[in-house]
Amino acid sequence: MQQYILQRVLLNLLVIFMVATLVFLVLRIDTDFVVTQQAAQTQITDPGATERARDIVRADLGLDGSIFVQYRTYLWNISHLDLGESFAAREDVIDEIGNRIGPSLELGLLQIMVALLVAVPIGIISAIRQDTVIDYVLRFFSIALLGIPVFVLGVLVLLLVARDPIGYTPPLTTYRDLLPFPPFETGRGVDVWVNLQIMFMPAIIGGLGTGAIIMRFLRSQMLEVMRQDYVRTAWSKGLQERVIILRHALKNALIPVLTVVGLLLGTLVSANVVLETIFVIPGIGLWVVNAIGQFDYPVIQGVVLVIAVILVFVNLLVDISYAWLDPRIRFG
Amino acid sequence: MQGEQQARAPVLAPPAEWALPERPGIPSNIWKFIRRKPLGAFGVFLVLLMLAMTLGWPKAEFGAPQLPSRPLGFELGKPWLARFDAETTFRDAESGRIAQYFLPSADHWLGTDKGGRDTYSRMVFAARRSLFIGLWALAFATVVGTTIGIISAFFRGWLDTVIQRLMDSFQAFPALLILILLVSLFNPDLTILAIGLGFVGVTSVQRIVRGVVFSTREQPYIEAAKVIGATDTRTMVFHILPNIMAPIIVLISVGLGAVILAEAAISFIAPQRVPQDPSWGIMLNVTRSFLPPDPEGYHTLAAGGAIVFSVLGFNLAGDALRDVLDPRLRVG
Repeated sequence: MQQYILQRVLLNLLVIFMVATLVFLVLRIDTDFVVTQQAAQTQITDPGATERARDIVRADLGLDGSIFVQYRTYLWNISHLDLGESFAAREDVIDEIGNRIGPSLELGLLQIMVALLVAVPIGIISAIRQDTVIDYVLRFFSIALLGIPVFVLGVLVLLLVARDPIGYTPPLTTYRDLLPFPPFETGRGVDVWVNLQIMFMPAIIGGLGTGAIIMRFLRSQMLEVMRQDYVRTAWSKGLQERVIILRHALKNALIPVLTVVGLLLGTLVSANVVLETIFVIPGIGLWVVNAIGQFDYPVIQGVVLVIAVILVFVNLLVDISYAWLDPRIRFG
Repeated sequence: MQGEQQARAPVLAPPAEWALPERPGIPSNIWKFIRRKPLGAFGVFLVLLMLAMTLGWPKAEFGAPQLPSRPLGFELGKPWLARFDAETTFRDAESGRIAQYFLPSADHWLGTDKGGRDTYSRMVFAARRSLFIGLWALAFATVVGTTIGIISAFFRGWLDTVIQRLMDSFQAFPALLILILLVSLFNPDLTILAIGLGFVGVTSVQRIVRGVVFSTREQPYIEAAKVIGATDTRTMVFHILPNIMAPIIVLISVGLGAVILAEAAISFIAPQRVPQDPSWGIMLNVTRSFLPPDPEGYHTLAAGGAIVFSVLGFNLAGDALRDVLDPRLRVG
């Protein structure tokens, strides 16, 4: 087991190194275009200014020097946990990520809560009443929710509530009003009411989409478990239906479902880019989309790296906890 | 003697009920498919509808393939199903002002948009962009992904390890962000978007192909091919590839839905960065940015509905194809 974990950690480091290299290469496909775009925004008008502006932009973005020198500096900085300064706000990228990861994590966790609250009861009912009207209705809704992308549903909901009879739009905020992520104190009071107003629509919309996946998964697992011998034994012992389903069947059916939830945790930060953009939630997703619009190289590199690190290590944790939850699994 | 002849008689002239039933014709096969898989048939119907939306008279202007108007090397004219040209601006007959946000009428089935253009016609035009980006991306993803998957599974060993670690790091990339970044780095061009989407698809295609090839390569006919001296290339191309066509076809169908969704999401998040010809994603973004003036929401419903039904169509058709072609892949 220890050997397995060590092996996986080393592999993860390798994957992160490759992600870092790839994002470095992608950002250097066509630097002239970016430099021209940025330089066009300068206010200098004297002759030769364009070339000078370009040089300044190049130095700012860390694009001066040969590509190997750039790559070496880049890797050196990453290995010292230095992601540089953001081009737009001139702040340390790690600090900024810390400030903005709070709303993203909050939204993601709320979505998973909504998803589980909806999916677990529905999945159980759909499985134990298989091929009845209830089952068909519930499955129809889950297929429909799987088919409707969050950005279509989000726009429709916004349109619906913004129109006359309701006439409501969520308030605009910055990350300073929202719950901070513990190690990074933003040091301001949190308005719970504003917080809730911002989060509830995207949390429900995203949660229903995720819930549909979990529900389908749980249903098929429950159907499989309900046919196992030990469940039949429980029935023939004369146990109550509630006890059999909740204590005998659900416990085993939930293990793979928890893996799905774990995998969702890995994409918590990156999965909500679209919803954050629609509902203007000041999290990582909205920030990085804006950063891409401004060609803010340090921010893009930093966020992609952080997302990749979270993803691979959460996946590792999920695999380990899987063995802990289900002792039948052994790692070779 | 007499008994022998009697026994032979039926062999010479078999009774009518022994005759083999006639092979079912194509119409009855289609009818059987509709009856057995009503949802799958509905999906196929939606796919055909989308295909019909892209059809138009070809013009005799040949040239290098280009998205979206010249996807196959020749120019396509106005789709038959569109009533007007996509960029025609309509004016109010009485006041002469631009027909902004008109309600549906006999002329404009889904009303007009902010620029006085016919919403229904633009929706039909946009199908061409979605479908052909999907086809191009899938062509790229399938060819590259299948090649990598077969090679990786066939040779195993260190080559497999290297390829799979590389694919892991692609997987750890936040795909949506990288694609937005990629289209931002160049002047708006659908070809780059299509190749980028295909590149993202390579990882999942190769993983599934690899899994299937792992079981296929242990089959007796592969061993037989090796014994009679077939080269590795020959074994892969003529013995393995034809036997994994079923999962590949299913992958293409499901993948098309995913790529169409991704293109819509990218056009929705970063509408300024993608080409401005009619697109469902951009249409949806426009309604989000100008929520109140789209009074009855027809614009939103047209774009959103088109996205939902095309993605749903490919998913349902893919599910049904999976059941018919390849029961091994059945999930849930």
